[in-house]
Amino acid sequence: MPSAPELLPYQRIREDLFRPLSRVSGRYLLATLIAFIVGAGGLAAWGLQLRRGMGVTGLQRPVFWGIYIVDFVFWIGISHAGTLISAILRLTGAAWRKPVTRAAEAITVFALMIGGMFPIIHLGRAWLFYWLLPYPNSRLLWPNFRSPLLWDLTAIVTYVTGSIIYLYLPLIPDLAQLAEHNTPWRKRLYRTLSLGWTGSDREWHALERAMKLMACIILAVAVSVHTVVAWDFAMALAPMWHSTIFGPYFVTGAIFSGIAALVLAMVIIRKVLGLEAYLTRHHFDRLAKLLLLMSLLWFYFTIAENLTVWYGNEPKEMAVFGARTRAHYAPYFWIMMFLNFVVPFVLLGIRRLRTITGATVASVSVLVGMWLERFVIVVPTLANPRLPAASSFYTPTWVEAAITAATFAAMAMLYMIFAKLFPIIAVWEFKPHPQEEE
Amino acid sequence: MEHRWGMAIDLDRCTGCEACVVACHAENNLPISTPEQAAQGRTTHWIRIDRYYEGEFPDIKVRYMPVLCQHCDNAPCEPVCPTYATYHNQEGLNVQVYNRCVGTFYCANNCPYTVRYFNWFAPEWPEPLALQHNPDVAVRPAGVMEKCTFCIQRIKRAKQDSAAEARPLADGDVQPACVQSCPAEAMVFGDLNDPASKVSRLAQDGRATRLLEELGTKPKVFYLRKG
Amino acid sequence: MDRRNFFKILSVTSAGALGGCGGKADRAIPLLVPEHEIVPGEEQWHPAVCAECGAGCATVVRIMEGVRVVDRNGEAVRERIAAIKKIEGNPLDPISGGRLCARGQASVQSLYHPDRLRGPMKRTGQRGQAAFAAISWADAIGQAAEMLAKVRAADPARIVFLGGAQAGTRSLAIQRFTEALGAPAPVVCSLADHAVEHKAAEIAFGWKGLPVYDLAHAHYTLGVGADFLGGWASPVYYARQFGDFRQGRRQIRGQLVQAESRLSITAAAADRWLPLRPGSEPQFLAAVGRMLLDAGLARKPEALPKAVVQAFQAADPAALLATCGLEEKRVRQIVKELGESEAPLVLAGASVPHTNSVDAVVTSHYVNLMLGNVGKPGGVHAPAEASEDPGNRALLASKKQPPTQPSRDREGAVVPADPRLSQSLAHAQVVLIDGANPVYTMPHSAGVTDAQARAELVIAFGSFLDDSAAWADLLLPDHHALESEMALVPAVSERQAVAISTPFVEPLYDTRAVETTLAELARKIGAEYQGVTPKDIVQPLLTEGVSYEDVAREGGIWLEPPPPTSPRPPTVAPSFAAAHFEGDAAQYPFHFQPYPSLQFHDGRGANLPWLQELPDPASSSIWGLPVEIDPKTAAALRIGNGDVVRVESPYGSLEAPAYVHPGAVPGVVSMAIGDGHSHYSRYASGRGANPLAILAPVWESSTGALVLGATRVRLARAGGRRGWTQFSTGDRQERGFDGR
Ligand SMILES: Nc1nc2c(c(=O)[nH]1)N[C@H]1C(S)=C(S)[C@@H](COP(=O)(O)OP(=O)(O)OC[C@H]3O[C@@H](n4cnc5c(=O)[nH]c(N)nc54)[C@H](O)[C@@H]3O)O[C@H]1N2
Ligand SMILES: Nc1nc2c(c(=O)[nH]1)N[C@H]1C(S)=C(S)[C@@H](COP(=O)(O)OP(=O)(O)OC[C@H]3O[C@@H](n4cnc5c(=O)[nH]c(N)nc54)[C@H](O)[C@@H]3O)O[C@H]1N2
Ligand code: SF4
Ligand code: SF4
Ligand code: SF4
Ligand code: SF4
Ligand code: SF4
Repeated sequence: MPSAPELLPYQRIREDLFRPLSRVSGRYLLATLIAFIVGAGGLAAWGLQLRRGMGVTGLQRPVFWGIYIVDFVFWIGISHAGTLISAILRLTGAAWRKPVTRAAEAITVFALMIGGMFPIIHLGRAWLFYWLLPYPNSRLLWPNFRSPLLWDLTAIVTYVTGSIIYLYLPLIPDLAQLAEHNTPWRKRLYRTLSLGWTGSDREWHALERAMKLMACIILAVAVSVHTVVAWDFAMALAPMWHSTIFGPYFVTGAIFSGIAALVLAMVIIRKVLGLEAYLTRHHFDRLAKLLLLMSLLWFYFTIAENLTVWYGNEPKEMAVFGARTRAHYAPYFWIMMFLNFVVPFVLLGIRRLRTITGATVASVSVLVGMWLERFVIVVPTLANPRLPAASSFYTPTWVEAAITAATFAAMAMLYMIFAKLFPIIAVWEFKPHPQEEE
Repeated sequence: MEHRWGMAIDLDRCTGCEACVVACHAENNLPISTPEQAAQGRTTHWIRIDRYYEGEFPDIKVRYMPVLCQHCDNAPCEPVCPTYATYHNQEGLNVQVYNRCVGTFYCANNCPYTVRYFNWFAPEWPEPLALQHNPDVAVRPAGVMEKCTFCIQRIKRAKQDSAAEARPLADGDVQPACVQSCPAEAMVFGDLNDPASKVSRLAQDGRATRLLEELGTKPKVFYLRKG
Repeated sequence: MDRRNFFKILSVTSAGALGGCGGKADRAIPLLVPEHEIVPGEEQWHPAVCAECGAGCATVVRIMEGVRVVDRNGEAVRERIAAIKKIEGNPLDPISGGRLCARGQASVQSLYHPDRLRGPMKRTGQRGQAAFAAISWADAIGQAAEMLAKVRAADPARIVFLGGAQAGTRSLAIQRFTEALGAPAPVVCSLADHAVEHKAAEIAFGWKGLPVYDLAHAHYTLGVGADFLGGWASPVYYARQFGDFRQGRRQIRGQLVQAESRLSITAAAADRWLPLRPGSEPQFLAAVGRMLLDAGLARKPEALPKAVVQAFQAADPAALLATCGLEEKRVRQIVKELGESEAPLVLAGASVPHTNSVDAVVTSHYVNLMLGNVGKPGGVHAPAEASEDPGNRALLASKKQPPTQPSRDREGAVVPADPRLSQSLAHAQVVLIDGANPVYTMPHSAGVTDAQARAELVIAFGSFLDDSAAWADLLLPDHHALESEMALVPAVSERQAVAISTPFVEPLYDTRAVETTLAELARKIGAEYQGVTPKDIVQPLLTEGVSYEDVAREGGIWLEPPPPTSPRPPTVAPSFAAAHFEGDAAQYPFHFQPYPSLQFHDGRGANLPWLQELPDPASSSIWGLPVEIDPKTAAALRIGNGDVVRVESPYGSLEAPAYVHPGAVPGVVSMAIGDGHSHYSRYASGRGANPLAILAPVWESSTGALVLGATRVRLARAGGRRGWTQFSTGDRQERGFDGR
C-alpha cells in the first residue's frame, strides 16, 4: 500500500470515498439509535428544567455558573479543531492536510451549534433568549453592548456563519460529482447544493480565491471567538478570573482540545469507514506533534497563570488557588494536569510511543483534561467569593449530566449523518486539476 | 440628581439579632423556602448577617456584619447585564427590572458582595400566607435575579406623602424596612446629597469604612467600625 | 421619635381631620376595617401588641387590601378583606421604641399560617394520635361545660389550668375563671417567665417584678448569665439600650464584659467574654464582690448589712475563680475597671437557669448595692409598682405565681418533679391549656404526657395543633393576637405601662377569644365569672384628661417613671453554694445547656417559615438546629460539622447534627430550643430534636422554675449526616475550604 493517499489512482479514491454514502449498516443504525436516545434524554431533562426552573440544577449562590458554562467553553474550544487548523494548514500549504480538512471543518460547525446552545440552556428564562439579539422591536429596546455576553453572541454568530461557508465552499466540487450518478432524491439534493458547478477554470479560480480569503477571515474570527469567551470571565472582578492572559490562554486551550477532537474523529472515521489508506500513520504523526506542541504551550500558560497568583499571595486569589490545588477541587486540578500534560508529554514526546494508538489515548486524555480545565476555571472562583461567608460548593445534578451527555450524543449523531450525506474527505483535492498545474 | 440614597450601619451597635432580616422578608415578598430547597441553597435573604469567628477559645471574637446590596455607584453588576435589567437610576439606586431579566446570572457573578439572589423556582406561598404580601412590591417569577432595592417602594411612598402634604422630603422620612426594625438603631438611611442628613454625617465619621472599597465599586453603604 | 413613625401614629390618632384624599388613614378610633373602606394601594396603620413573649412590645400594623379565596357552597369565591401586611414597633412605646425583634416581625405569619386551626375540633382517635374532627362551638362548649361541671361538683381541685408567661387581660381572665370554679390558681407553665430573676429581686430588694437595668447610661457593664440581647426578658428593650450604651453618647462608649457559659449573641457583642463553668455564677460574683471590697472599690459597702459583707469577706477569690474556670488576673483587671468606672453595672440573670441561679442573681444585686448604682442613672431600677386597683394586683400576682411549697432546702436533695406542675397534674381530671405547650417545654421525665393521657378532659385553646394539643380532647382555638382585644403588661418596665390592642380586622376563621369561651363555659356551669377587658386594666392608670379611648388610639399607656426610691435593705445573706447536676460525672462527662434562642424563644417560633429560614446566629443553620460542641471534644470524638451525634442523659437521648462551635466552652454542650416538635404545623412537625425532652426533672427549689442547665450528658458519634443546612457558610475553614 502506498504511504500517501495521493499516490492512489483517482478512480479508486473516488470509489473509496463515495462508497460510505450509499451503504447503511446495522451497526450504523444502532449507533444512531443510541445517540438519539441519549439526545432525547437530554431534551427531556431540559424540558423539566424549563418547567420547574433552574432549581433542578446543582447551581447555588454563589456558584451561578456550572457545567453548562463548562460545556459551553469546552464545545466552543472543540470548534477550533477544524476551521483554525484547516485554515492554518491551507494557508501554509501543508500538502498532508488534504484528507484531514473536511473532517475538521465539520467538527467546527457541529461543535459550534452545540456549544452555542449552552448559553440558552443556561438562561433562567430560556424562552426569552431572543431579548439578547439586537433586532428592531416595537419597544425600541436594544441589548446592552457593554456586556461581554453581547460580544460573545456576536462573535459566535459570526463564527458559525463563517464556518458553515468555510465548510461549504470546498464541498461544492464534490457535490457536483455526486450529483452525476445517484438516487433521485440525492441527485436533487446535491444538484441544488452544488449551485450549478461545472468545473470551469473561472469557477476553480473563484473557489480557490474564496477559500484563501475565508481561511484568512476565519482565522481571525476563531482567535477572537475564544478570546471573547475568555473575556466573559476575565471582565468579571472575581478572583482568578480577572486575568490578562485569559484570552491567549483560552485560545491555546481551544486549539489544544480541537486537535484532540480531530484526532479522535479521524481514528473513528478511519476504522468505521475503512479509510486506513487515506488516514495514515503519517497524518497521525503530524497531528500528534501538533498536539504535543499545544500541550507544552498550554502547560506554559497554566504555569504562568497559577505561579503569578501563588507568588502574589493575595488572600482572595489564594482562597481560590487553595481550593483548586489543595482543598475541595484539588482532585480536578491534579487530574487535569496529569491528563493535559503528563499523558501527552509521555505518549507523544517519546517517538516509540507516538503511534496511532498512542495519539488516540493522548487525545482522549486531553479531551477529558480540557473539560476538567474549564471546570477548574469556572467553579472554584465562584465558590470562593470575596466575602468568605458566602462561600459554597457546587455539585452538578443528573439534569445537568443528562444534558451534557446529550450534547456528546448530538455531536456523534450529527457527525454520523454528515458522513452519510457528504464525503468526509474531500475527493476533488486528489484529482489533478488545472489550478494545481499553475 | 435630587437625591442620592445611602445607608450607614454601625457595627458597634449591631447585635446580630436579625430583626432586619425578617423585616425585609415581610416588606419585600421574599420567597420562602422549604427544608429541601434550603438544603440546595435556595434560601433568599436580601439582607443577611455574615458571621465570622476570629481567634481561638477563650480569646475568640465573633463579628456580625449585615450585608445587603451596597448600591455601588460604580456597580460591577450593571455593565455586564445584556438586557439592561439591572441599571443605575437617577437617585443612585441599583435597580432591578424583573421583567427584563432573562437570567444569565452574569450580574451575580460580578457582584463582589454576593448579594444577588436568583429565583430558582416559582415562589409558592401555601394559602393564605400570601395575604401578607405587600401590594407595593412585585412577586418575582422563576428565572429572574433579585436583590435589595433599598425599599424603593418606601422611597416612592415617602415622596408621595410629602408631596401630598406639600412639604419637602425630610431626613428620616424614608426608612427601609430593615432600618425601621433594627432595635439597636444600628442602621441609618438617608440622602447622601444632603450634607446635613444623619447618614451623610455618619459617612464622614472616623469609624466609617466601606466594604471591599479597594475594588473601586464606590458602595453607598457605610460601615462604622467597632470602638 | 422619628418623623415617619410620628406621622404614622398621627394618622391613626387624629380624628378625621385629614379628609379622604391624603393617602393617609383617618380613623378616629381603631375599629374593624370594613370592606368598603379598603382602597387598593392605600395603607392604614393600627396599634396592636406583640404577644410572642412577655416583653409586651406595643406595635403598629399596616393594613391594606387583600384577596382571599373562600369556599361558598362548594364554589371558590374571591373575597376582598382588610389584610395585615407588616408589623412595626409602636413609636410611642418606650419599651419597643418603634422597633421589634425578629419574632415580633414574623408574628404576622402565624396569623396567615396555612395550618392554623380554623374552628373547634374534637378528638376522634386515640389520645396523642392527633386525629380530630370539626365540631360546632355549641357542641364543643356543651361537652366541655358538662365535664367541668361534673368535676367541679366532685373536687374542683382537679381542674388544672396551664397558662403562659404573659401578664395581661388573658392571665387575669384565666385567674378569674379558676377562682369562679373554685379550682386551684392557674400554673404558669413557661420557660420564659423569669421566675428566678423575680425571686432574686424580691429577696434582695423586696421588689415585685423584674429589675430594670439602665444599660444605656452605664459606662461599664458586667453581664452575668443573662443573654439580654438574645432570648432573655425583653430583647428589643435591651438591644435599644445596648445601641445607646455603645454609641448613644458623645464621649463615652460603654464597655461590656459578659460572663456566661455560652458564647451567646450578648457575649459575642461584648468587648470581653469570660467563659464560666456552668452553674458557677454565684462563685464568680462572690469573687467579684470580695475583690471590690479588698480593693476599696466598693463605694457603698454600708448599703449592705454586716452579714452580707461578712459573707463576701469569707469568700476566697482564688478558690472560687478556680471553680469558675477563670484566670484570676484577668478577673482582677475587670473588677478593677468595673469598680473604677463612673457608672458601673452588673446585669445578671439566668438565661439557662441552674439550681443556684437565685443565689447568683441575689449576689449580683448585692454587688450592685456595693457599687452604689441602685436607683442611679446607669444602674438598677425598681420595676413599676402594681397600682392599687385589685385587678392590677391580681394581674401581677398571676404573673408571679408562687410555688405551692418549696420542697427542698437550699442545698438539699432535688425533688424529682416540679412541685406545681406535677402535683397539680398528678390527679387532674380536667386540664385546660392556653399560651403554653407543656408537652414540649417540659422534660419527658416530668410525666406531662402521662398526666394528659390520664385526665378525663383536656382542652387546648391555642391556634395550632401543637405537641400538647395533640394530647387534647377538645381544641377551642383562640383568635390570633392580631384579631384580639387584649392588654399586656410589659415584663421589663420601670414605669407603669399597659400595651393594648383593640380588634381592627375580622377574624379569619371560626375562632373565639378565650375570654369569650371562658365566659360561656362559666355561664353554662353556673359559675360566677366576671370578664376582663383592657379597659378594666387601664382604668386605674388613667390620669386627668386622658380617656380610655385616647389610650386605645395610641396602643397603650406608659406613665412617667416614678422618682427612684431606695430599696429596703436586704436581710438575707448570700449563699455561694455549688450548683447541683444530675448524672454521674464519670458516665456523663458533659454539661448540657438547652437555651432559648432569639429566633424560637421557648420553641414557639418554630412554626413560622421566616424564623425557620433565619440563620441561627451561632451556627448559621437554617431549617434545623444543631448541638454545639467545642472543637477539642469534637476532634476527640471524630465529629465534624453536620455529623449526627447522640446526646444521652440519664433521662433520655436525642440525635442531632453537630456544629463544631469554635467558641463553645470545652465540656459544655449547648443546643437552642425549637426543634423536635411532635406536632406544630407543616413547618415544624417531626423535624430535629427537642433538647428539653432529655432533661432531668430538676426544678429550682424556691420558684419551681425548670433548671435547664442541671443535666449531664455523654456524647457519641451516631454517624451519617442528615438535615443540616447552613445558610452563610461561615469561614472557609468551617466548610473545609482551607486544606491547610
Ligand atoms: N389586568 C389588567 N390588564 C390590562 C391592563 C390593566 O390595567 N389591567 N391594561 C391594558 C393596557 S392599557 C395595556 S397597554 C396592556 C399592556 O400589556 P403588555 O403589553 O402585556 O404589558 P406588560 O404587562 O407591561 O408586559 C410587557 C412584557 O414585555 C416584556 N419585556 C420587558 N422588557 C422587554 C424587552 O426588552 N424586550 C422584549 N421583547 N420584551 C420585554 C415583559 O417581560 C412583559 O412580559 O395591558 C392591558 N391589560
Ligand atoms: N407603574 C406603571 N405605570 C403605568 C403602566 C404600567 O404598566 N406600570 N402602564 C402605562 C400604560 S400602558 C397606560 S395605558 C396607563 C394607563 O393609565 P390610566 O389611563 O390612568 O388608566 P387607569 O389607571 O386604568 O385609570 C383610568 C381611570 O378611568 C376611570 N374610568 C373607568 N371607566 C371610566 C369611564 O367610563 N369614564 C370615565 N370618565 N372614567 C372611567 C377609572 O376609574 C380610572 O380612574 O398607565 C401607564 N402607567
Ligand atoms: S436588626 Fe440591627 S442590630 Fe439586629 S442584626 Fe440587623 S442591623 Fe444588627
Ligand atoms: S452590591 Fe452587588 S448588586 Fe449591589 S450594586 Fe454593588 S455590585 Fe451591584
Ligand atoms: S441575570 Fe438578569 S439582571 Fe443579571 S445580568 Fe442576566 S439578565 Fe441581567
Ligand atoms: S433596604 Fe429594604 S430591600 Fe434592602 S435589605 Fe433593607 S429591607 Fe431589604
Ligand atoms: S421582644 Fe417579645 S414582645 Fe417584643 S417584639 Fe420581640 S417577641 Fe414581641
